[in-house]
Amino acid sequence: MKQKRNKSPLFSLETLFFDFVKLTAIPGLLWFRPKLIYENAEAKKKLRGGALIISNHVGFSDPVVLMMAIWYRRLRFICTKEFFQSKWSRPFFRGFLCIPIDRDRFGVDSFHEITDHLRRGQTVTIFPEGGVHTDPGSVGSFKSGMVLMAAQGGVPIVPVCLKRRKHFYNRTRIAIGAPVMTAAEGGGRLPLSKIQEITTQLHDREEALRELI
Amino acid sequence: MTRQEIIQELKSILISADEKNRPLVEGCTEQTNLMDTFGFSSVGILYLVIAIEETFQIRFENTTVTDFETLGSVVDYIEAKLK
Repeated sequence: MKQKRNKSPLFSLETLFFDFVKLTAIPGLLWFRPKLIYENAEAKKKLRGGALIISNHVGFSDPVVLMMAIWYRRLRFICTKEFFQSKWSRPFFRGFLCIPIDRDRFGVDSFHEITDHLRRGQTVTIFPEGGVHTDPGSVGSFKSGMVLMAAQGGVPIVPVCLKRRKHFYNRTRIAIGAPVMTAAEGGGRLPLSKIQEITTQLHDREEALRELI
Repeated sequence: MTRQEIIQELKSILISADEKNRPLVEGCTEQTNLMDTFGFSSVGILYLVIAIEETFQIRFENTTVTDFETLGSVVDYIEAKLK
């Protein structure tokens, strides 16, 4: 079935801060632009409509690098609610279209917020390792909630793998995989065992992408 | 919808979540702890929430996955929402 595309408005108050920073930062972003490696021709196609992007998490600059890699979309990042607790950081992270979640007591409202964005044709990015993974030789284990989010939002999951830079002046290498559809056949709900199976497959894909970079 | 009908629907949802739950579901009561009995992680509880929302046409608000420890607590929430 062809996915319905909802185009985001070119200008809106919600995305004003995000767009302003992105535009003014173009010279810097060009200097540090990542080197993109695509898994195949399908992965090279531009993302249209809603998508859940998953990536390994190697450092705190990952969101910026991902924004540069998929520059033509406004990426919403799921991040821990601790970033929203200070009165100074809250407007900043909200301005950058981040979605707060409580890692210890995951709220149903956060889940609704994420799936609502996906259904509206927006791109949401999540780090399924649940935090920064410091071992450069592997990808940490994945939490399976992302599969549920994508299935509920009716969007594909796009696996992306980042490689930590050796020096600050090096370009980050990013491998982008082909989108993976997660919806159940016949439109029903995926059983939990299938959700776990897809999570394992996505982790294997992420490991395979890591080999490309 | 009576409390008993809600429990029956919930039992069907628990089986659709994982066929392995079938023998456990038959013996479960309102006091059954969902995490301990069915070994549900937070994703499992979230799965239940989605299935309940679709089945009963309700929307969960201001709740976290740890709010639903027992089958009875889920039934209480659904009953309150359906009123």
